[in-house]
Amino acid sequence: MKHELEAFVLREARLLDERRFADWLALFAEDGVYWVPTLPGQASPQEALSLFYEPKPLLALRVARLGRPDMHAQAPASRTVHHVSAVEVSGELEVRSALIVAEWRAGEARWFAGRALHRLRREPEGLRIVLKRVDLIDSEAPQRAIAIPF
Amino acid sequence: MDVATLLRGDAVHRAAYIDPAVFALEQERIFRRAWLYVAHESEVPQAGDYVLRRLGPEEVLLVRREDGGLSLLHNRCAHRGARIVTEPAGNARQLRCPYHAWTYALDGRLIGVPLPEGYAAKPDLGLAKVPRVESYRGFVFGSHASGGPGLAEFLGALASAFDNMLDRAPAGTLSRFGGALRLEYRGNWKMFMENAVDLVHPGFVHRSSVEVARAQPQALAADALTQQGAQMFLANGLRAPQWDEVPLHAFPGGHVYMGGFYKGGVIGAEREDAVFTRYRAQLVERHGEEKAADVLALDRFNNLVWPNVSINARFAAMRVVQPLAADRTVVEVLCFRLDGAAPEMHELTLQFVNLAASPASLVASDDLEVFERCQRGLQDAALEWIDLRRGALGDRRQDDGSTLGSGTSELAIRNQFAAWAQYMTR
Repeated sequence: MKHELEAFVLREARLLDERRFADWLALFAEDGVYWVPTLPGQASPQEALSLFYEPKPLLALRVARLGRPDMHAQAPASRTVHHVSAVEVSGELEVRSALIVAEWRAGEARWFAGRALHRLRREPEGLRIVLKRVDLIDSEAPQRAIAIPF
Repeated sequence: MDVATLLRGDAVHRAAYIDPAVFALEQERIFRRAWLYVAHESEVPQAGDYVLRRLGPEEVLLVRREDGGLSLLHNRCAHRGARIVTEPAGNARQLRCPYHAWTYALDGRLIGVPLPEGYAAKPDLGLAKVPRVESYRGFVFGSHASGGPGLAEFLGALASAFDNMLDRAPAGTLSRFGGALRLEYRGNWKMFMENAVDLVHPGFVHRSSVEVARAQPQALAADALTQQGAQMFLANGLRAPQWDEVPLHAFPGGHVYMGGFYKGGVIGAEREDAVFTRYRAQLVERHGEEKAADVLALDRFNNLVWPNVSINARFAAMRVVQPLAADRTVVEVLCFRLDGAAPEMHELTLQFVNLAASPASLVASDDLEVFERCQRGLQDAALEWIDLRRGALGDRRQDDGSTLGSGTSELAIRNQFAAWAQYMTR
């Protein structure tokens, strides 16, 4: 069980690094949500602003844009490494992990660090994401353009 | 430096964006003189409440005193210079320096010094005060200059942006909520203020988000949040003649507002759904039918209070541009609750800001990229001047001293540089 869930979150991160964004999107359940809040411990997206709060159909627009040459914030494209560690099964189909994302783009390196929470559901096609939440350690800090999901 | 040489007819020299000496002069002559936004009174309701903010080049504390008044103090101990407060907000009965425990009342008066017997008299010092602090209907501004026009005079016609936001609140008051989004770019602060009222850029800079929304029409029938996003992305896809019809109103002092271009749907000025119907009824109860209709019909997108504030009253949102260096800027994006309105109305505000203004936004991320490209490009010395003539032939002077231009004009940018030149050359 732990092995299966860990393999799922590691693959999910690798798909982002390989820029297989459509495959990444397919890991979300139809009612799945990707969320990066601004407040530490933010209770809900209604409590405060969010860097990302995107149900799957909205995420689908983001993913389609990542494939377009006129997405200026990805010209040139980023190279990323999503480093997932300290994977912990924290509940029924719930996984917590530590996340470091290194990004190289246009001659500059950036780093993001945070904790990730995956709530999953078992569907006929396999495990699917109901919620992926990433709490950055510097969630309130000013950020330059962010193009690749964490 | 002779700043006057940086402007030539309808062109500006690239040094205005890249030269650290120009930036230093801007800090002295603009950001130490103009009224700058500090905070909203709802952030400091109780005696002792404080918020830590940036006011031009300085870090300041806005404090609610015991007598209910507001103090705007420099966050620097009068003894050795340590920052007194480090939390962005809090409540304190007095302000105490961590270094040698010099202690100040909420009005900045020095009330305690250790080892007083070693001084001939108690030191005649206190926290430095920002010379002027004024509230316009709850929006608190400060000025580092002891003289100059009062806040209402400074805001001029743009006071209407604050009035309209207040008029949209069923209880007649606003509360800051929702934390903040903060964007950063390696570019000059003026670029953000210019881009906010440049209506030719959306068709090019934001084309990718327009096209993906066009290609996925099912997004318009998805959940409410996705619908809002898709409608916002599509709205940037107007053709040039349609952008031309969005009016730009430029005022003395660099201020400007542009008309709205969100027509219909979740993002329209008036809606049919139950939440909005109930909200509208609340406004009619407060204002009467005629005024309520006028309040909702005031359809402007960005209202710019020069030098560094942009207000969207329809979505109760505000951006504050903080210049950090010639090539480094932070933009804070803030939201207000329309007191008395249902929570769903506030969700619309949060979602509007997330979608439009997050550094991860499908829209704003491309703006940030373009600012950084301009800053890099302007390092190139082969071409010295930046042309600002677009649409100049269409500028129409109005009787009230304002200038009306069509949406595709660079009128607002010329108007900002007119104010810039006034501040920078005196």
